[in-house]
Amino acid sequence: MGADAAVALRPLTEAQEGLWYFQALDPSNPILNTGQYLDLTGPVDLPALREALARTLAETEALRLRFAATAEGPRQWLSGELPPVAELDLRGHPQTEAEALRWMQADSAHPADLAAGPVAGFALILLPGGRVLVYERIHHLAIDGYGMVLLTDRIGAHYGHLTGQSAAPLPFPPLSRADEEDAAWRASPRRAEDGAWWKAELAGLPEVASPGTLAGERAISAAAFHRESLWLPEALAARLAAFSEAHGLAWPEVLTGLAGAWLARWSGGETVIGMPFMARMGRRIARLPCMAMNVLPLHLHPDEEAPLADWLRAAAAKMREARRHGLYRSEQLRRDLGLVGGTRRLYGPLVNVQPFDRPPVFPGLEVRLNILGAGAVDDLTFTFRGDPQAGLLFETDANPALYTAEDVAAHSARLVAFLDAALAAGRLAEVPTASPADLAAQAAQARATVHPLPETTLVEMIAGKLADHPDAPALTYGGTTLTRAEVDRRSAALAGALAARGAGPGRIVAVALERGLELPVALLAAMRVGAAYLPLDPDHPPERLARILAMAQPVVLLTSAELRGRFPADAPAFLPEDWPTAGEAPAGPAPDDMAYVIYTSGSTGEPKGVVIEQRAIVNRLWWMRDHYRIGPGDRILQKTPATFDVSVWEFFLPFLSGAELVMAPPGAHRDPAALAGLIRRHGITVLHFVPSMLSAFLAAPESKGLPIPHVFCSGEELTPDQRNRFHARLRGGLHNLYGPTEAAVDVSFWEAGPDDRSSPLPIGWPVWNTRLEVLDDRMRPVPPGLPGRLFLGGVQLARGYLGRDDLTAARFVADPSRPGERLYDTGDLARLRPDGAVVYLGRLDHQVKIRGLRIELGEIEAAIMATGLARECVVLAREDHAGEKRLVAYLVPAGDHVPGALAARLAKVLPAYMVPAAEVALPALPVTANGKLDRKALPAPEFRASGRPADGAGEKLLARLYAEVLHLDAPPPAEADFFGLGGDSLSAVRLGLRIAQETGQDPGLGAIFETPVLEHLAARLAAGAAPSNGAGPLLLLAEGDPDAPPLVLIHPAGGLAWGYRGLARALGGARRVWGLQHPGLAADAPMPASLEALAQDYAARVAGIAPERVHLAGWSVGGILAQAVAVQLAAAGRPPGMVALLDSYPAEAWRAEPEPDPVAALRALLAIAGHDPEAHRDLDTRAKVVAFLRAGDTAMGALPEALLDGVVRVVTDTNRLVRGHVHRRYPGPLTHVRAGLDHGGRPLSAAMWAPHAEKVEELSVPFLHPQMTSPAAVALIAPILAQRMG
Amino acid sequence: MMTLDRMRADVARLIDLEPEEVADDANLADLGLDSMRLMQLAMGWEQAGLAVDFGVLAEYSTLGDWWREIVAPQVRA
Repeated sequence: MGADAAVALRPLTEAQEGLWYFQALDPSNPILNTGQYLDLTGPVDLPALREALARTLAETEALRLRFAATAEGPRQWLSGELPPVAELDLRGHPQTEAEALRWMQADSAHPADLAAGPVAGFALILLPGGRVLVYERIHHLAIDGYGMVLLTDRIGAHYGHLTGQSAAPLPFPPLSRADEEDAAWRASPRRAEDGAWWKAELAGLPEVASPGTLAGERAISAAAFHRESLWLPEALAARLAAFSEAHGLAWPEVLTGLAGAWLARWSGGETVIGMPFMARMGRRIARLPCMAMNVLPLHLHPDEEAPLADWLRAAAAKMREARRHGLYRSEQLRRDLGLVGGTRRLYGPLVNVQPFDRPPVFPGLEVRLNILGAGAVDDLTFTFRGDPQAGLLFETDANPALYTAEDVAAHSARLVAFLDAALAAGRLAEVPTASPADLAAQAAQARATVHPLPETTLVEMIAGKLADHPDAPALTYGGTTLTRAEVDRRSAALAGALAARGAGPGRIVAVALERGLELPVALLAAMRVGAAYLPLDPDHPPERLARILAMAQPVVLLTSAELRGRFPADAPAFLPEDWPTAGEAPAGPAPDDMAYVIYTSGSTGEPKGVVIEQRAIVNRLWWMRDHYRIGPGDRILQKTPATFDVSVWEFFLPFLSGAELVMAPPGAHRDPAALAGLIRRHGITVLHFVPSMLSAFLAAPESKGLPIPHVFCSGEELTPDQRNRFHARLRGGLHNLYGPTEAAVDVSFWEAGPDDRSSPLPIGWPVWNTRLEVLDDRMRPVPPGLPGRLFLGGVQLARGYLGRDDLTAARFVADPSRPGERLYDTGDLARLRPDGAVVYLGRLDHQVKIRGLRIELGEIEAAIMATGLARECVVLAREDHAGEKRLVAYLVPAGDHVPGALAARLAKVLPAYMVPAAEVALPALPVTANGKLDRKALPAPEFRASGRPADGAGEKLLARLYAEVLHLDAPPPAEADFFGLGGDSLSAVRLGLRIAQETGQDPGLGAIFETPVLEHLAARLAAGAAPSNGAGPLLLLAEGDPDAPPLVLIHPAGGLAWGYRGLARALGGARRVWGLQHPGLAADAPMPASLEALAQDYAARVAGIAPERVHLAGWSVGGILAQAVAVQLAAAGRPPGMVALLDSYPAEAWRAEPEPDPVAALRALLAIAGHDPEAHRDLDTRAKVVAFLRAGDTAMGALPEALLDGVVRVVTDTNRLVRGHVHRRYPGPLTHVRAGLDHGGRPLSAAMWAPHAEKVEELSVPFLHPQMTSPAAVALIAPILAQRMG
Repeated sequence: MMTLDRMRADVARLIDLEPEEVADDANLADLGLDSMRLMQLAMGWEQAGLAVDFGVLAEYSTLGDWWREIVAPQVRA
């Protein structure tokens, strides 16, 4: 402090403290240099001007302030040194104005040294023609906006006096008055009263958003800001004055209120703006240049319907109240309200009306005032300087971290348009947030999609293509390819037969077929007869299928003999074996006939059938063909289920464009490796992925380097990460499409090419003859950036929902801007980018998409209520782990609800993908203060494990490792079940490894499987129990009632029963569930001599568990063993209860098959581990198979060496045992559950068991053989087994 | 001739109060008098012949102060 050390150090005023801390955070930030310059023209008396400036500086003590941190806190003192005045003569400079501006900006960009000083700097800049600029730069700690006005006016007053044109001004009061006022305020009871008032006023403050912080960005001032500056049009200023006058309102309050109303539009209709307040009225500092201003938070919730003057009057009253309590510092208020740090803040943008900030008077001169900077710009600041009579300078300052210069200009223009429109309209509701310029840009974009097409139908277009080059390949499935002529002939013949069965325009033909040659022929034939096809998914529960058939009333059901049983007996089935091979197609549909009907999930609990007309789908497919130039030479892969409307282009675009349609085998769409094989084998050029499946595909080793010209994504959000991984891994185009079933598949597209850097990735631009409109909740257009509801218009809109005019009217609404036209309300939240591309932001309602499947949560909720097991319920799609959405049902139990009962009941009426993965029973559903469901208060199902915290070193160690392996936020309690927390076989292996690392003691995998509850496992480890590798012959898979007969699940070919974990969990509780494992898994155990010997061994072990009675079940080889064990038990006089065979077929079915070589047996391991063996033909030695498994992330790959050896041994031996086995008759019933989607080429059936049992109950579930223990299959199978165990 | 009651009536009209609600020692800012309205008052009184400066008026918080410190000395002079 040097020479100034003798002067008195004073604390900062409250007003200064906030700024001090802001500057102390980053002393190099120059944003607190407030600056401006006067532009003087006329006969400037330069000596008088110099003297006027000198006198002003001499009497303004604040300019000599210095600041420093001390042990007692920040302190300030007055230096004796006057601020510097530079004089620049730019009269000879080639670019005088630009140079002057550059110099001033450079000076302002230099951070002040608050301790050494000076805190202010001035300059006189001489320009040609006698013009003089007076530049002022003062640190905000020394002065505020009004202080700057006082000081600047003072220069003019001295100039007037010095040039003999006015009286000498009254001297400024001493700066000590600022300290006195501050001390008085700090000591006043008013301070606490005002604080209390504010805390009450601001209780329940909304979270504030602004145009630049919609995604929750942090608003912290940068070192510079963007500025858009313009004069409000005179007509607008006059309108403002007249309106204010007419309604007895003060125009600054009208201006503040309206700017706030516009900002509220960006913050959910309610916002808090910052209102700078000079804080001088009635205070002894009223004429003192110092820092006194405050920023008052103003909570505005505009009533858009009320007459504008009424709402403004209420807002003005609020402003007056705020000013009355306006000395209470907003920095203090932030601390009081806990709004410090992170993105928390008290107010958003500032609205600053400065009626006094007019150019000062310099007698005889013309003066213009230019503001360079007025302090920090955290977010957005609207400043109005002057008054309606003299003119209103409107400045929009913005934080460059949140806004581009273009954004700032656009917002500035929007606010001007809004002010004008609001004052004219007299009601906010009538005023759009978008400006006329925004609307014009949107209209131009809409015009650009107009692309007139001839009136035609898919049938006409396809007929033309099929007739052209009739020998060209049109349709391939497996090894069979049909030519165009053949497709033409078959579909025409079937169309003729359909006509004979009553099909035609306006009628519906239901189609339920697996992928194959028949499916596309059936769809095409339905269209050729003029009817609409209705795709049905045979995997769906029969009750749901029956309901849809009852609603749609199809005249024909095209299905296969195998699937026929899933439909009601009276359904008008027409099986492929009865289809004619020759015949004439009838006339076909007209452009406005129905083309197809696709059922989607409905919120009311009833699926709804979307009716798409020919004209709509013609537009969509014609656009796609031309836009992506798809034609002969392309091969399009069909892998999407026909019930998902993406399949529409997969099926018909090939016929329409001359491309070849390649049908993927059933199930292949879920196996990335198999898909890669298909793509390579058939040279696929066009295919579709739901983004989550694309991710899995990109992760598979087989996809690397594949060339695929066109990959289309839709059904879920495509992420920038997926786009980048795509281009890093594959060669080809990636197209992001968007659209609901209600608008003919897709309505928008975006090229997600290798150079695309968009984040988020837009859904893009409208297809032909289509409009994408983002409207707010009053159906007003929104400007780019502002989220709104996405509406669709144009030719692709559906006719509506079949037989549901009420639902149609609710979602297809009148277009407010185009009389007679309709808009479809997508229920999606979206925003426009500045370039007009649409960005999808999420759902507005309770619809979710899981793996591309659209689900109305309301439909699931309705199904839960219909079970009678819940008094209240709500279903959420939770994403507790990134990228993993799961349905969770929360319910208040009723009736005979028991935990876990729900899934089984729901599986009967809902498709598997709609059955919640978890259910959480609550005494009541949590509600918010205003009585709405409090979704945030619903617990994540994993963390529901409650109880005693882990105690003691052993439990604490396990709690830490459970949390680590399962990615839990907190250590689980002692009662937590490893598998209940989401653990699976793979994570159990990892847990075992971690325990071994930490303790040096290998617990053995079996320990985790047998005692997954934390405290039990800890006790077991503490007791030093012999390690178990989980491969012992008996494994307790699920705890349950020890008095009930247990269920024993017998291992499949691999010898391990771990795969039954899911089934066991579903069936536990009511009974214990055991797994029987092959004794040959142990390193030195001899292999059994025969399957009969093995069964005898198992029968003895089973008797050891439950001497009275057991239930038996087994999958695959496990079923063969179950029957054999049942025979042994029955012979011993202890017949089992249920004997269930999951897709097992008796030994003689295999005896005829050629003995597989040892390598083939090994390859069975691949299937057990979840890989498709066909996709890995190169793995032809034991070493290669083992290496491949080790590289993957399956449980099989993570097995300890010795155990993997055991599995390999057991697998290889199993074939021998099975082939040598001769079944004995079991004198009781068998329950057989068939994998309904498998065994296409093989005559395997439940009936084969008839000779080996008293009777056979034949059941089927829609899965492939390897999927029978998957969670989706368990959801169907567990209830079947539970029922049979009583 | 300016009187305390005339000043009181002017202030009351501007902030929508009855004159008797504007006590001599009431804080005018609390009653709703803001800088814009004060500017209007100052201009009106200036036109009525008083030498009043907006800034000086703003330094005081009550009508009584205005009368005692600014206006009465002029009126008596």
